[in-house]
Amino acid sequence: MTTTPIGRRGFLKGALGIGALAATGSLAACAAPGGTGTQPSRLARPSASASAAKGEITIWNRSGDLFKVFDAAIAKFRQAYPNVTVNHQAVDIDAKLANTLISGTDVPDGSFWDDAKIGGQAEHLYDLTDLIAPYQDQTSPYKLSVNTVDGKIYGVPWDLDPGLLWYREDILESAGVDPAGLATYDDLLAAARTIKEKDPRTAPIHLEKTPFLSQLWLEMLANQQGTSLSDAQGRLRLDSAEYRRILTWIRGAVDDGLVTHAPYLEQADVNTLDNGQQVFVPWAIWWSFAPQQLLKKTKGKWRAAPLPAWTPGGARSGAMGGSSFIIPAKAKNPELAWLLYEFLCFKEPGYTAVYGPNDIYPGGLSTSIPSYRPALDPAKPLFRPIEALGGQDLWKVAVEAAETIPAAAPIPWWWAQSVDYLGNNVQRLMEGKMTPDQVISESAEKIQRNLIDRS
Amino acid sequence: MRIGSIRLTPYLFIAPFFVVFAAFGLYPLIYALQLSFMRWRGGSQARWVGLDNYLYLLTSPDFWASLGNSAVMWLLIVPLQIVAGLGGAVLLANARLRLRGFFRVAFIAPFVTPVVAMAQVWIVVFDQDYGLVNYLLNLVGLPDVGWLTTTAWSKPTLALLFLWKTTGFAIIILLAGLQAVPGGVYEAASLDGASRLRQFWSITVPLVRRSMAFLVVIQTLAVFQMFAEPHVVTEGGPYGSTTTAGLHLYDHITASDLGTGAANSFLLVLLVFGLSLASVRMLRPKDEVS
Repeated sequence: MTTTPIGRRGFLKGALGIGALAATGSLAACAAPGGTGTQPSRLARPSASASAAKGEITIWNRSGDLFKVFDAAIAKFRQAYPNVTVNHQAVDIDAKLANTLISGTDVPDGSFWDDAKIGGQAEHLYDLTDLIAPYQDQTSPYKLSVNTVDGKIYGVPWDLDPGLLWYREDILESAGVDPAGLATYDDLLAAARTIKEKDPRTAPIHLEKTPFLSQLWLEMLANQQGTSLSDAQGRLRLDSAEYRRILTWIRGAVDDGLVTHAPYLEQADVNTLDNGQQVFVPWAIWWSFAPQQLLKKTKGKWRAAPLPAWTPGGARSGAMGGSSFIIPAKAKNPELAWLLYEFLCFKEPGYTAVYGPNDIYPGGLSTSIPSYRPALDPAKPLFRPIEALGGQDLWKVAVEAAETIPAAAPIPWWWAQSVDYLGNNVQRLMEGKMTPDQVISESAEKIQRNLIDRS
Repeated sequence: MRIGSIRLTPYLFIAPFFVVFAAFGLYPLIYALQLSFMRWRGGSQARWVGLDNYLYLLTSPDFWASLGNSAVMWLLIVPLQIVAGLGGAVLLANARLRLRGFFRVAFIAPFVTPVVAMAQVWIVVFDQDYGLVNYLLNLVGLPDVGWLTTTAWSKPTLALLFLWKTTGFAIIILLAGLQAVPGGVYEAASLDGASRLRQFWSITVPLVRRSMAFLVVIQTLAVFQMFAEPHVVTEGGPYGSTTTAGLHLYDHITASDLGTGAANSFLLVLLVFGLSLASVRMLRPKDEVS
């Protein structure tokens, strides 16, 4: 029996038919994207006791030394909660967490995350307000505010990163500058001029060259004055006296040739820190890594002090960065994840295990401090004095400075994207290509149009 | 198997391709098209906004700036790549070339090297303070250049990375076109007294025009989709000067502005389609046009 081969028309008809079927099926399957729009779940306190708490949780953390520190601290948790198994995973959180929360697939029970990113994903997280309530009055107001969206708390506040003024004690001594006299930013400029007059090769004040970190640094200076990029209602407040004051100060320092514009701890920055060109680094406590690990030639010559204030008697610190822990709304064992984070943040064995001396950091973790105030006793340091800071008790300096940090507003979801506008324009200001008013007007206009209005 | 006079068996054989295409090609395409008319940040319900995403992009200076950056990259890359590709193809087609195998490997090796790895090398080599290139410039008394940190040099430096990576592919395409040219044409031209340069210009170039047109279309697509190089090397900076169309689209996704990202991708498709069509028409041989 002969069979007729498929003709061209027949093939096209068949292909069109299958394609039409597929398209119709696709359109029918294309329900409007998105969830049901229900309110985030409120996580209640687990009723089980420590010995009765039972199950397995998956916890995400960034890889590196901090992962090892938490690993050791989790071992302490397991001693307190012997029937809870913790699957602690090192994950590229920046690349994976947001997409995982949105897709709802293979969601961990808890994760470490930057404060700046939590607010933007609040609808995928558990409302932890009831759980944080017993600790609320004893937690840094700043950390509570950045974890709060529409009156609900979505992150377990972990670390506080107070800004400090790092300086070369030997250079100040030789120039006759008393670090105790650096009470305001005008005092800092005057000291920088004195140092430069004595040694014209210096450009004493560090200004950050990367847009993201320079914006984070700007926010530290704004937080000192009790403000931030947006208020609790999400309204932009860049066009304000506080930001104008900061940007004018920066531009003045640039115009007077008092700055070294270098990228954070890259080779160019390290060289100018070690050779005495840079003398003052207003930066978060996590700059303490530099004298301990990177600044071989000037080890022991750096010290830390509270930041100058913007006005006499003003706050002597602001927060720069910081992280918390989140519990996704689709976590399988959220109550057990809460028990872990409660242990690490609010229980003495937990935060001592994280910050105290350990195999990874024999002197203790000195790149941040807890945000839980009972842990912040100046007389009971969790980490030891730093040899690279000439034996200075950094704990005392940081804790006393942190006491002055004002509360802030939740970090808006668009903060990271605003770096393309504000961060870049701050760089132009530091290069002398823009005035403070230009930075404010252009950045505000673009942030409003491209980010806030697109919400 | 039959339904009436229609044999079903052949259709069953080709059905798997269409099913897979529908699932992984057509469905995402239609989903993205639907999303391009909506405002959705990946969480709660998306809402219909009609043409708002498209209008926003078409009136956005950042969108046009990214297209401009891609256009400049195209000008820096494609013409030079055609010339270099043709030169490399002519070299490899030369029967008297020694170490032909070595040259083939040398030309194709960059193409198979992971782009992220090479991007890291580029960052080190072109570092303003400690990079090899500035070191060599200093040796001859020239000052440092901000290869990756100034708006003047960041695009050419990235274009160089793209050229280094993909010119091997261009050589392969043009070599295939070159090898399709009958040898007798060159013999006849030699007998008529045509010089080598004349032969190249009057025989080689016209006869590989189709291959060149194909290459222009492929590389136009690649340049406008360029993402890994600016993302890894410069993160779109300094000051957005290396934010290409592909990277700008990615920025919408990372900002969770998914509807605008989808609209951006369709606008890019239309643009690249138009450019490719124009390129093909421009490079079409004259006899084909008539």
